Amino acid sequence: MLCLRELQRWKPVLCRYGNTGVRSFAAAAGEAGRTEDGLVNMENPYREPQKGCVLCDVTVDFKNIQLLSQFISPHTGRIYGRHITGLCGRKQKEVSKAIKKAQSMGFMSVTHKNPQFMKDPNVCGIKHLD
Amino acid sequence: MPRYELALILKQMQRPETAAVLRRTVETLMERGALVRDLENLGERQLPYRMTKHNQRHSRGTYFLVDFYAAPSMLAGLLDHLHRDVDVVRPTVLKKDAQVPNSNCCGPQK
Repeated sequence: MLCLRELQRWKPVLCRYGNTGVRSFAAAAGEAGRTEDGLVNMENPYREPQKGCVLCDVTVDFKNIQLLSQFISPHTGRIYGRHITGLCGRKQKEVSKAIKKAQSMGFMSVTHKNPQFMKDPNVCGIKHLD
Repeated sequence: MPRYELALILKQMQRPETAAVLRRTVETLMERGALVRDLENLGERQLPYRMTKHNQRHSRGTYFLVDFYAAPSMLAGLLDHLHRDVDVVRPTVLKKDAQVPNSNCCGPQK
């Protein structure tokens, strides 16, 4: 009982931001999507467009060994991980599967990168020492 | 009938002999009830690694791609036949899936 009285004393301090009572709730929500505090409900105007990975609109094929060779190491022929290629989950899986397929079918080498493709631009975020 | 793709690696041969091998491969396919849709030549190039087949070491070969429709039951027999062919270095049959649309890929929505 005593604490209730004390809460009532503190009520004007705690409820600084205008009408915060159960009575005024319905009225506030009604007008133009404003919250009780007067903020407007809208989508973030500073939101940046979602960035896609490098292969967003590119179909990955086992025949396109030049594209696949961009995601393997030139020294060992190992497939780079997701943290190096920067591809999204789906594309990384597709590339990985296509590389393994091409290697088993005799289209792509396993232990090294085709010397023809050594001069290709570096898509992965890896810097080799040489 | 499901659609398959035959990636054929042939031994380095003269043009008339390559033509003869291709002819008999396609005829074999048709005999087994396949419907050949497309035959692509991916060129003659150096193999990515040396392949040994029929007691011969191959370092160069010609790549071909045959699209065909076939019943799944004849694939085992076809592969067996291709492995026995002396002029074929490596035959691989793959299923061709319908392309998944890239509409829901990550990235800016157009």
